[in-house]
Amino acid sequence: MSDLFTLRRRGLLGGAAALAAGAAWPAHAEDKRIVVGTWGGDYSRLLAKNIEKPLLEPKGWDVVKDEANDPPRRAKMLAEKALRRGTSDIQGLSAANMYDVNQQGLVEQLDYSKIPNAKNLIPAMKYPYGIGQIYSGKVILYNPKIIKRAPTSFAEAIDPKMGDKLGIIDIQYQYTLVAAGMASGGSPSNIEPGKERLLACKKAGARIYPSNEAFAQAMKTEEIAVGIMWKARAVQWQNAGIPIETVAAKEGVPMYISGFAMPKNAPNKPGAYAYLNAMLEPSAQEAFAVDMGYNPTITNAHVPADVQKRIGFTPEEEKRLVDLDYGYLAKNDVAFQDWWNKSFKG
Amino acid sequence: MSLAAERPRGQLLTASALIGPATIFVAVSLFAPLAILFRYSLNDFDKTTKTMIEAVTGTNYVHFFTDPYYTSALATTVEVALLSTAVCFVVGFPLAYVVARTQSRFKHLLIIAIVLPLFVGNAVRAAGWMVVFGNKGFVNAGLMGLGLIEKPLEIMFTEKAVIIGIIAVNLPFMVLSLQSVIEGIDRSVEEAAFSLGAPPATMFWRVLWPLALPGILAGTILTFILAMNAYATPYLLGGPLFKMMAPLVYNQFTQQTNWPFGGAIAFILMAVTLGLTVAANLMIQRRTIR
Repeated sequence: MSDLFTLRRRGLLGGAAALAAGAAWPAHAEDKRIVVGTWGGDYSRLLAKNIEKPLLEPKGWDVVKDEANDPPRRAKMLAEKALRRGTSDIQGLSAANMYDVNQQGLVEQLDYSKIPNAKNLIPAMKYPYGIGQIYSGKVILYNPKIIKRAPTSFAEAIDPKMGDKLGIIDIQYQYTLVAAGMASGGSPSNIEPGKERLLACKKAGARIYPSNEAFAQAMKTEEIAVGIMWKARAVQWQNAGIPIETVAAKEGVPMYISGFAMPKNAPNKPGAYAYLNAMLEPSAQEAFAVDMGYNPTITNAHVPADVQKRIGFTPEEEKRLVDLDYGYLAKNDVAFQDWWNKSFKG
Repeated sequence: MSLAAERPRGQLLTASALIGPATIFVAVSLFAPLAILFRYSLNDFDKTTKTMIEAVTGTNYVHFFTDPYYTSALATTVEVALLSTAVCFVVGFPLAYVVARTQSRFKHLLIIAIVLPLFVGNAVRAAGWMVVFGNKGFVNAGLMGLGLIEKPLEIMFTEKAVIIGIIAVNLPFMVLSLQSVIEGIDRSVEEAAFSLGAPPATMFWRVLWPLALPGILAGTILTFILAMNAYATPYLLGGPLFKMMAPLVYNQFTQQTNWPFGGAIAFILMAVTLGLTVAANLMIQRRTIR
């Protein structure tokens, strides 16, 4: 009976050889597959609806998503840095994150001759290492039922007088520091004056939420009545019935730009270029404005007037749009996070 | 070579072939990453470029133990783990005893009811608690509806919420560990104690406790380790102001991309968990021998 389960040396070696042969079986070259690292949820769904299905699939591209928030995806890019072939072809990141991963030597310097649609890009959305796909601005959100006098500036919104009606989003620490800095006489290149203001707000009872969604929920239940957020998100929340109004702050409107960069070790670089080009098609850009409330990053997109009125900025407000100082933020990010975690939250 | 000599060698090969894959799998998937992580924890970190620098230094470990922010996170983690384990034991023991001793034909349904929470992932379960604990959640709406409170209680994003959440996750592990051991204890030894005049408390302390000790140890160790390493529950129910070790490790790796310090925190968490577990084990065993 035991002989049935007894292996001889030849059998064992044969089995091992078969296993090794199986492991060494060559993977098929996936020339037409594009692996896209992106946030999940609505954003991923809209990428499929507005870019992949209408513009890439008809040309034979097969798009596969690697969905996660940006911190784990950036950690994965870093972990794969030494690999000749990475696991993604293109990564969706904010402009600040694109700057970071470029500093870390993780992303390819783009050859714009391979992206014909890039000729229509707004210059501020064009980086050597990535492209802005959508943008919005950080505005003040308030509930007019509770806040009777609309705040007109970051100084009036991020104010200890708001007490526990002020909500702050933990993952938005960079923008919160920038806005508080601007409210206290600083700028996107100098956030230091805002620290004291934030500490005073916290002392006065300001509530801190872990995510954008938790903040929206608190706005909905009227636990809080004022805060700052991208205008595009505010439009989505208004559509969802959350009672909020928006104001472009007097001090300026810090821009939020989200786009795509290509890892240096992307296995399918032609696929990544095809994706970058497709995302800049006017039809895709217009659809993102309608579906998600973000502004197009190209000059030849035609957004319906009523949508433009809700998501865009007036010519006066456009003058106040300010880009972040990505170099300053990247250089000091660890120190800012330390201050945020230990002194502000701690 | 004789057939008799060939057989033991064949059996050895068989044994190697059977245990080999699992051993290699464990070695490669557990020890190799741990070794790499430990090596990373000795590296330096450039804060301006957020990149790891090759080095052999204990700076990360020194940094952890000299910064009150991190030591307080460790203290909170140990406190939450001890408290939730103690509650799991106190609540779980009577339940495990009833399940072990019941003669009901619905016993299997009872066991399924205990295991049922494990069918749902930690994150989903925490999301459920968020609905219950929120300012307009089930608890607050109920209490305010009954006129017992005027302002909603602050439960969400507090230590209370985390402890309740962890207890809910860990209780089935404690109950199942205790129930399987209590079931193996002959009912007649308890009856013998009673027939000799022992009150219930004495019977518990002198008979049931020593005999159930292996299950108690298994249950407490299991729930303690799970609580020490809890991630989803403290992250979702504790909120941004609450600090426990596992979310701290994640934050260092992903948010700050500081792998050396993240690695050091991970090893400190592992060492403290192992140390406390071994110490508790030895302490209980020594008391039992006495």
